Amino acid sequence: MEVSIMHHTAGFLLPTLPSDSLNYALIILNQRLPRFAPLLWKHAKIRLCADGGANRLFDEMPLFFPDLNPIDVRQRYKPDVIKGDMDSIRGDVLDYYTKQGCDTIDESHDQDTTDLHKCIAHISNSTPDSEKSNLCILVTGALGGRFDHEAGNINVLYRFSGVRITLLSDDCLIQILPKTHHHEIHIQSSVVGPHCGLIPIGMPSTSTTTSGLKWNLSDTEMKFGGLVSTSNLVTGEIVTVNSDSDLLWTISIKSGFS
Amino acid sequence: MDSIRGDVLDYYTKQGCDTIDESHDQDTTDLHKCIAHISNSTPDSEKSNLCILVTGALGGRFDHEAGNINVLYRFSGVRITLLSDDCLIQILPKTHHHEIHIQSSVVGPHCGLIPIGMPSTSTTTSGLKWNLSDTEMKFGGLVSTSNLVTGEIVTVNSDSDLLWTISIKSGFS
Repeated sequence: MEVSIMHHTAGFLLPTLPSDSLNYALIILNQRLPRFAPLLWKHAKIRLCADGGANRLFDEMPLFFPDLNPIDVRQRYKPDVIKGDMDSIRGDVLDYYTKQGCDTIDESHDQDTTDLHKCIAHISNSTPDSEKSNLCILVTGALGGRFDHEAGNINVLYRFSGVRITLLSDDCLIQILPKTHHHEIHIQSSVVGPHCGLIPIGMPSTSTTTSGLKWNLSDTEMKFGGLVSTSNLVTGEIVTVNSDSDLLWTISIKSGFS
Repeated sequence: MDSIRGDVLDYYTKQGCDTIDESHDQDTTDLHKCIAHISNSTPDSEKSNLCILVTGALGGRFDHEAGNINVLYRFSGVRITLLSDDCLIQILPKTHHHEIHIQSSVVGPHCGLIPIGMPSTSTTTSGLKWNLSDTEMKFGGLVSTSNLVTGEIVTVNSDSDLLWTISIKSGFS
């Protein structure tokens, strides 16, 4: 049986996107905006704030443009949607974006899913099936902070494993590599690497094989309590991964660009 | 010793600190090496009384964080607490029933139980806002996050090793 190849990229960190690029959506969660936030905003076709993420956008985007009037910056960087249970967003921030015409959706009745989950569902539901394979959702503020939040955000990758989602922090990105595919990860070495890892978060992997890493795996078992591929290094432009288990791929983001 | 600055290493060596270069061993992380050192220096009779606190374990590069969490699993017989400004993480081995004592002046109420590494077919808790009752947990399904402690004691029984995490209160220190 032919297993199809899934391609992964960090092209959204480059200053310009290629013409055949994926369509990007941006979700801002409630942690400090990363240093490349304006770049992600520029590349995204739709931008959402998850609840308190709106506070971050309101307070922090003007800081990237110290020579500009904060009022002008806020005008320019308005989200399309603010969604969540609305228990973190400040009153003045909600007020401002509502008056600016942003779509604010209160889903506090639904306590079973996280704000990130709600936002991903919103984007997924608004995307025609024909465009879904071209869609990549970028999430800032997903890592660090409270560990249970981070684990919940990682779980969203597993619950929406058919959707391309990249979790981002200032230091690194995380993508899920579903076991159903062979994976080719394209390394844009001006912006990512070389530090990387493959993490069997939910389930052990009896067999993983890679190429393009300093310490490649060859039909190798990985599990918590045993071997987990951390502090690895990419050695070239392409990393390939095949596994019998869903894995998290993580790669460092270079300081010094943005 | 590939991260420690020259002037720093110099200073602490002169101060009489024991500096042990293990760069020959590339198979284990620095944290692993430190835990092994403490464990090996602790007499068996004192091991059950020992608790190792680790700062700087979370945040930063995710592969580092995952490697640090893996050390909890690899030394599951040793009490280890990973700490950040925002929260702590401890492993709850499946071999035991667990009673977690909540010092509410310094921790909580936000907490979670995370089945890292392996799904749990059955977990039962008490003392949480949303308790589990013979409940299945796994990545791709239910993971107990954004939970709340409701009292002074949380109990946990599971058929799988779980990570317990609880927030650390701001405003004290």
